[in-house]
Amino acid sequence: MAQRTGDKRLLTPSAKSASAGVALALALAVLLLAGCGGGSSSDTSESTSSSASATATPAQKGSAAKADAAPANAATGKGAGAGAAGAPGKTSTASVGGGSGGAGKKHGPHVAQPKGAPEQAPSQAEVSSATVADIALSSPSLAPGSGEAPPLTAAYTCDGRDEWPALSWSGVPAGSAELILYAMNIQPVEGKLFVDWAVAGIDPALTGIEAGRLPKGGVVGTNSYGKQGYEICPPAGSGVTYLFALYALPRALSPRPGFDARELRRQILEVSGNVGLYPVAYSRG
Amino acid sequence: MRTKATAIGTALVALVALCAVFATSASAAPAWKFETKSLEGSEVILGGALESSLTIPGLTTKCENFLYKLTIKNEAGTGKGEVTELPLYNCTTDTAACSVSKIGAEKLPWPSHLTTVSTTPYIIIEGVRVSILYGGEECALNETLVPVTGSAGGSINNTTETATFNASTLSATGTSLKALSTKIEWNGVFPTEAFQWHREQAISVS
Repeated sequence: MAQRTGDKRLLTPSAKSASAGVALALALAVLLLAGCGGGSSSDTSESTSSSASATATPAQKGSAAKADAAPANAATGKGAGAGAAGAPGKTSTASVGGGSGGAGKKHGPHVAQPKGAPEQAPSQAEVSSATVADIALSSPSLAPGSGEAPPLTAAYTCDGRDEWPALSWSGVPAGSAELILYAMNIQPVEGKLFVDWAVAGIDPALTGIEAGRLPKGGVVGTNSYGKQGYEICPPAGSGVTYLFALYALPRALSPRPGFDARELRRQILEVSGNVGLYPVAYSRG
Repeated sequence: MRTKATAIGTALVALVALCAVFATSASAAPAWKFETKSLEGSEVILGGALESSLTIPGLTTKCENFLYKLTIKNEAGTGKGEVTELPLYNCTTDTAACSVSKIGAEKLPWPSHLTTVSTTPYIIIEGVRVSILYGGEECALNETLVPVTGSAGGSINNTTETATFNASTLSATGTSLKALSTKIEWNGVFPTEAFQWHREQAISVS
C-alpha cells in the first residue's frame, strides 16, 4: 500500500508536469499560429486576402485577365491607347474594387501617360561600332570625389604647374595596337568640342603614366588653345568638368607630332575601340 | 510546486520575449500589401516618373517618361520582385552638343526586394544595367557607349503611393550606380500602381 501510495505520489506530480507541458505547448502553438502578434505577412489578414482573390467574380477575373495585357502595352507604349500608362487603372475603376472600402482605394497619382515611342537600346551592331566605355581609368594623383567628379588640384592647372596628373588604367583589351590619351571639357565651348590635351602613340602594354612625364613613344598633339601640349585653364570664377579619356585602338593611327587633336578624335571614333573615361572638376576662384 | 510554477512562468516570459523579437524582425522585413492585406501570389505593378534624370559628372541625361514594370510577391514575409521592363521616353541631355542616340535597359530581369531603414520602407533594385549611346559631332561622348551599372534603393511613401530615387535614398540604402569609373546620380519620383489583380487598390509596404 505504502508503495502504491508512493506510486501515486510519484505519478501525480508527473501528471501535473505533463499537463503543464501540454499547456505550455498549447500556448506556444496559439502564439505561433497568431504569428506572435507581429505584423508579419503571415497575419490573418493574408488568408482573408487569399480567399478574396480566390473568390473573385468572373467579372473581376475577366478584368484582371484584360489587365494582364495592359501593363505590357503600357510599359512598351505599343498599342492603341495603351500608352496611357495611367489609363488602364482609370478605365478599370468600374470593374475592380469588389468589396474594397473607400479607405483602401488607390489614393496616389496614376502613372503618367508616356508620349511617343519608347527609346531603343543600342543594337548589337551599334555596340560593335561604338566606342565602349569599359576601361577603368583613374588618377593616383587625385583624391576620390565623394559621389562627384574628383576635384583637380591647382597643381594640374594653369594656377599651378599646368602639367597632367598621373593616370593609371586597367582593362585594355588584348590585341590593342595603340593607346591615345585626351583631356576634354565635357561641355563644349561656343558649341565646339574643346580639347585640352592629346597624346598618341602610347604603348598598349603600359598601365599608367607619371604626372607631367611623357611616356616613351608618346606624341603630343595641338590642343584647342593652339598649343602643342597640356593646358587646363578655365575662366576665372567658373567651374568646369573635364574628361580624361584613354582610347584603346584595334589599329594604330600613329599621328605625327603636333597633330590636330580634334581631327584625330574623329578618326579614333571611326576605328571604334574601347575607352576609359575619368571626369574631374576644377573651380577657379 | 512553486519552483515548477516559476519555471513555467519563466518559460512563458521567455516565449513572449522571443515573440517580441520575431515581431520586431518581421517589421524590419516589409511586405507588399494591397488595401492593407499582404499580397498572396504575385502581382504586376508599374512605376512611372515624369522626368527622371541620370547625372554623370558634368552631363545630365533626362527622360521625359521613365517607367518600370515590376512583378512582385512576398516570400517568407518579405517583399520581393523583378523589374521586367524599363521603357524610357524622350531622353535628352542638358548639353545642346550631346544627344542620346540610344538608351535602354539590359540584362533584365533585375531582382528587387524590400527593406526598412530607420522605419522608412525602401525598394532595392539590383543588377541595374542601362546602356547610353551618345551622339553629337562636338560632344565629348560622341559615339561613346556608356554603361550605367549597380544597384539603387528608393524610398516608398505609402501615403502618396510613390517610390523616390535620389542621392539620399541611394546613400541610405548603401546602394550606388556607377558610370565612367564614378558614382552617378539618379533622380525620380515614381507613382506606382497595380495592373493585374489589384488594380485601383491602395498599394503599400509595411
